[in-house]
Amino acid sequence: MERLPRGRHGLPREFIAQNQRERLLAALAECLEEKGYDRTTVSAIGKRAGVSKSDFYKQFESKDACFVAAYDDAVERIRAAVLAACAEREDWARGVLAALTALLDLFAAETAQTQLVLVEGLRAGRGVYDRYQVALQSFVPYLTDGAPAPEGGSRPPAATDEAVVGGVASLLARRVLAGETRTMPGLLPEIAEFALTPYLGTTEARRIISGR
Amino acid sequence: MPPRPKGKPKPKAAAVPVRPALSREFIAGHKRRRIMDAIAELTAEQGYDATKIGDIVRRAGVARKTLYDNFEGKEEVFLAAFDTAVDEALARIEADCAEVEGDWEEKVKAGLASFLRYVAENPALARMCMIEALSATQTATERYEAAMQRFVDLTKRTVPQDDRLPETIEETLVGGVAWIVYQQIRRQEAEKAEDLLPELSEFMLAPFHGAAEAQKQANA
Repeated sequence: MERLPRGRHGLPREFIAQNQRERLLAALAECLEEKGYDRTTVSAIGKRAGVSKSDFYKQFESKDACFVAAYDDAVERIRAAVLAACAEREDWARGVLAALTALLDLFAAETAQTQLVLVEGLRAGRGVYDRYQVALQSFVPYLTDGAPAPEGGSRPPAATDEAVVGGVASLLARRVLAGETRTMPGLLPEIAEFALTPYLGTTEARRIISGR
Repeated sequence: MPPRPKGKPKPKAAAVPVRPALSREFIAGHKRRRIMDAIAELTAEQGYDATKIGDIVRRAGVARKTLYDNFEGKEEVFLAAFDTAVDEALARIEADCAEVEGDWEEKVKAGLASFLRYVAENPALARMCMIEALSATQTATERYEAAMQRFVDLTKRTVPQDDRLPETIEETLVGGVAWIVYQQIRRQEAEKAEDLLPELSEFMLAPFHGAAEAQKQANA
């Protein structure tokens, strides 16, 4: 994010504040990607963002507060991408496929944001780990709304819905830790099969994935 | 854990031991274990950062020196407790799987049941390993990942190998199970983890033989 010019520039105060806030959120994600939560300090975030410590504290009460804001912000960006992708799809399975495609593409493109959401969300500790849980749970309905039952069976139990979402998140977090964020889109067929099979059965899931 | 009696026992007139003396190794091992149990309980209650050495020795009922004779410091106590719990859980799961005479489905169910029982019987250890370890220290998070991999490998050894299935299937399954159990622990319901068995069995079996058949298996 661009720094604003120094000195007198006649920009409105709110504009400056908003710009600083966005820079701080981006800087936090970058610091986390480089050195993890514990070693990311308020000074390091401010330095990277080009924002003074006192201006940091005008925006956020603490590092945790900055983390929560960055986290929520990132989750909403991901949600918007997922919703845009599955809107106007003709059926449930193709909607899920489109959403997963968009998700993996976004994760691969925004590596700092991806690490923030998938890895740091659970690692930042007690002050903030609720954010991860709430965010992940909020994605479950996108998978289950309109989900069918496999031929000759009934809808899987609720634990499956949550375990599918949690399982995908866990796999992707492990790929982040392995330094493979950029190649996540290559996992699409595998992840799609894992996510669709409980609702469609293996044969139908594979048919739809291979015809994408 | 009940408070331990303090102070030295009064010397007895008759020098006949009432019970055989415990060996030095036994006592040392027992103290080590009490220290590890204490850190599990304390981190489950208040988190890793808030847990101090003083809290640990008080809870374990050992001298500060005993702790430092056995461990370098807090992190080493935590990591030792983590490793012990993971080794113990995996050993039990493998033993329970090995006892099953039936097919792989039965082994998966037995292994899952064994895991859930371990969580139910050791709620503080489960919370420490599955939740607190993630945010404790860098090394702890690395151990967590390594432990996940051991569960993935165990799953791979138990399920049939099918080239048509996603290569990552065991990773997503283990991650999914871990997530459900994570939430169960966060709800303070680790003691009831075994209630999850039917649903999690179905979840784990589904990819290997189509969802409809998995339902029949899980309900059998």
